[in-house]
Amino acid sequence: MKIALLGNPGVGKSLIFNQLTGLGIEVNRYPGSSVCLECGNVCYKKEKIEIVDLPGIYSLDGSSEEEILVRKFLEQGGADVIVAVLDATKLERNLYLFTQVTEFSPKIIAVVNMIDEAEHQGLIIDVDKLSSYLGVTVLLTAASEGRDIDRILPLALGSARIATLQVPYDHHIEAALKSLEKTLGAPRCKSLLALQGTGEDRMLLDAAGAVAHEIEVRHRMSVRQIIATNRHNLSRKIAASAVRQGDRKKTYDLDSLLTRVFPGVPILIAILFFLLLSVFVIGSWMQELIVQTFTTYIILPFTALDLPPLLERIGFSVLIALEAGLGIAFPFIFTFYLGLSLLEDTGYMTRAAFLADRAMHRLGLHGEAIIPMVIGFGCTVPAVMSLRILKTRREQTIAAFLISMIPCSARMVVIAGVVAAFVGILWAFSIYFIVFILIILTAVVLSRITPGEQFGMIVEMSALRRPQARLVLAKSWLRIKEFLFIAMPILIITSIGLGLFQYFGVTDAFQQLVAPITVTLLGLPEYASTALLFGIFRKELAFETLAVLSGTADLGSVMTSAQLYIFAIVSVLFIPCISTIAVLYRQLGARIAILISVYTVFLGITVGAIINMLIK
Amino acid sequence: MLPSLREDYLEAIQQFSEKNAHPPRYEELAAVLGKPESGVRSDMEDLVSSGDVSMLPGGVITLTGQGKQTGESVIKKHETLQCFLSEILGMDSSSASEEACTLEHAVSDETIDRLGQLIVKQDGLRHRGWGRHGRQMSTTQCTEEDFDCQCPSISDCAEGENVIIHCIHGRACAKRLLDLGMVPGERASIKRKLPNGALVVQVKGCDVALSPEIASAIGVERSS
Repeated sequence: MKIALLGNPGVGKSLIFNQLTGLGIEVNRYPGSSVCLECGNVCYKKEKIEIVDLPGIYSLDGSSEEEILVRKFLEQGGADVIVAVLDATKLERNLYLFTQVTEFSPKIIAVVNMIDEAEHQGLIIDVDKLSSYLGVTVLLTAASEGRDIDRILPLALGSARIATLQVPYDHHIEAALKSLEKTLGAPRCKSLLALQGTGEDRMLLDAAGAVAHEIEVRHRMSVRQIIATNRHNLSRKIAASAVRQGDRKKTYDLDSLLTRVFPGVPILIAILFFLLLSVFVIGSWMQELIVQTFTTYIILPFTALDLPPLLERIGFSVLIALEAGLGIAFPFIFTFYLGLSLLEDTGYMTRAAFLADRAMHRLGLHGEAIIPMVIGFGCTVPAVMSLRILKTRREQTIAAFLISMIPCSARMVVIAGVVAAFVGILWAFSIYFIVFILIILTAVVLSRITPGEQFGMIVEMSALRRPQARLVLAKSWLRIKEFLFIAMPILIITSIGLGLFQYFGVTDAFQQLVAPITVTLLGLPEYASTALLFGIFRKELAFETLAVLSGTADLGSVMTSAQLYIFAIVSVLFIPCISTIAVLYRQLGARIAILISVYTVFLGITVGAIINMLIK
Repeated sequence: MLPSLREDYLEAIQQFSEKNAHPPRYEELAAVLGKPESGVRSDMEDLVSSGDVSMLPGGVITLTGQGKQTGESVIKKHETLQCFLSEILGMDSSSASEEACTLEHAVSDETIDRLGQLIVKQDGLRHRGWGRHGRQMSTTQCTEEDFDCQCPSISDCAEGENVIIHCIHGRACAKRLLDLGMVPGERASIKRKLPNGALVVQVKGCDVALSPEIASAIGVERSS
């Protein structure tokens, strides 16, 4: 038995899902897409029931990855029962998607969630009327209070049925549907999609395309518009008769503060600054704790084992990689994710996107791009993964370049450990300054030369609500899991590789080879190149390797301030880490991954060389 | 037979076959062109001998490969010219069509290609930043809906105003807007307008944030 939750974004699907399944969630990547499906199992009356949380969508006709995934899921009958989750406060708009879902004729029940919020707004929903209109069982729930969530499963198993609701389309469309069915035997839902130019059946598409063109000429309106209008009209009719507006309680509208230029923009900057600051403070505290524990209880005992050198080298590399993953992934990224999930769940992120739209435009992006950019300060890997919220390849490409340059928390460690500690805190900030200038310049150039179209921002503002600790935690945990599964194996493999290189003396040869660049161009000691090389593996390792190779933790005594400064800025700009390159490859393809790597290497060396020349 | 008459025939046959999904018979072709059936019959014999047309039993006229190619090329010329005359030069569409009927026989392929490019470029300029629309628009899709709407755009309205959505230009963004309920005839109110033109529009009880260039593509009527 398989049940799928389906609905618009932000209707409380995840919360319902979490309450139904508990925390034992698996994330499955749907074949051929980067969208995640969350699945969980529950036992009900001695039967194992699998619950799937489909991604939130607005429509089934679209071409976004999420929409295609859900459409395929429905077409293939991916679940035995669909639980359509609707937002009680926005019933009319939510019914639009419901009308589309019924066209695939799955067995379905309707869950009208957030009824507490609706009551607060004085909306009264007539369940019987709604249920008779939709032709399915309707259940009112309030997931934030856990109200009636336990009734979902029994109803889904007991009284799910195929909805009787059918959208009455414009008579030209209906005629077209009939003739397509007669001539090609196409089912209604397929023909509707084909009329809008979606589908795989060439014959059907051609036939539907010809009819659609005629309809468009006659109506002076696109078929999409006609179909959407028909669906909206039906939704409006249903909502109008099933929902009554009672007394409305007056509430203070926080948006009058948050979405204005003042004080909205200062609030946005303060929130982002506070987020980064707390990640840095909490992160470094936890990092120290974890790394220390790890060193004392695992690494030291391991080195004391006195294994044969090759074995020891390999074992040591694995342990170092584990330490790096746990020492960075956990402290910085998890803290960051907690903050981010908090911002998302309160609904603030959409306000941030709205306010940032103009600034992002200057960079060739739009408001929604602020989300990957902010994530980039935590870790570049999930930031690249979140790029798919941007709709065009052009924006994804530009944002990928910028994200790879944003100083992530690991690079923060290099700046703090090398420059802030030995040169001065203001000099450390100057590195940020230089990097930001370079990011802006890169963006300005890229927005001019990147091919493709620019797509503006269309974002539904999610309602402001109090976040649920449980959901925030679950979300952060899911994300960190994703990171661990992608980054960890790469870290371990690369670590072993580098360990072997060192063992067989390849790194020395490399050092000799690039000596002209390191020594002459950048004015650094020869061993710095090895440290930079290790930085590819994980950024803050550049700093640690430097300390090991120079033979002292007091870097100030072996290198001049200028050398330290140059080293830091080169390693911050220089090539994203190996995990980033891997996700770039997966998300955007080999060409972009290579371009970004080459560009950042070039940028790092150029900036380092220029500073070296200026200082001389 | 005059070359222009031959082209007119081939164009008409091709158009008829495209529109009705079956090739025309004598009387149908005659009706379309407004000519006597007997004249059409004798002209068809000429076209058969020039290898443009082949006759099927029952008086059904089908185009040969050569005839089809010519027919299609003439249709394209006609549409490009009509689009150019009406959209770029601003002539009214019926006289543009008439004029195009005369010009289509004399104009070279290169001229048509360049005109087509010009139209696409103009369209691109008109919809700054809306590249997708510009690229998708082949000269055959000179849709009126994108041009004849003179209503103010939602980005011209002030914060707090109520409007009725009238039309949406540009196809790239239209789908998401439709899904969010921004269909012609729908009421909307402007909840917030930033100095840079970004808007929060309330439609169907939901707040939707829009970039300035998206907002400028939504035509509205003001309502009280």
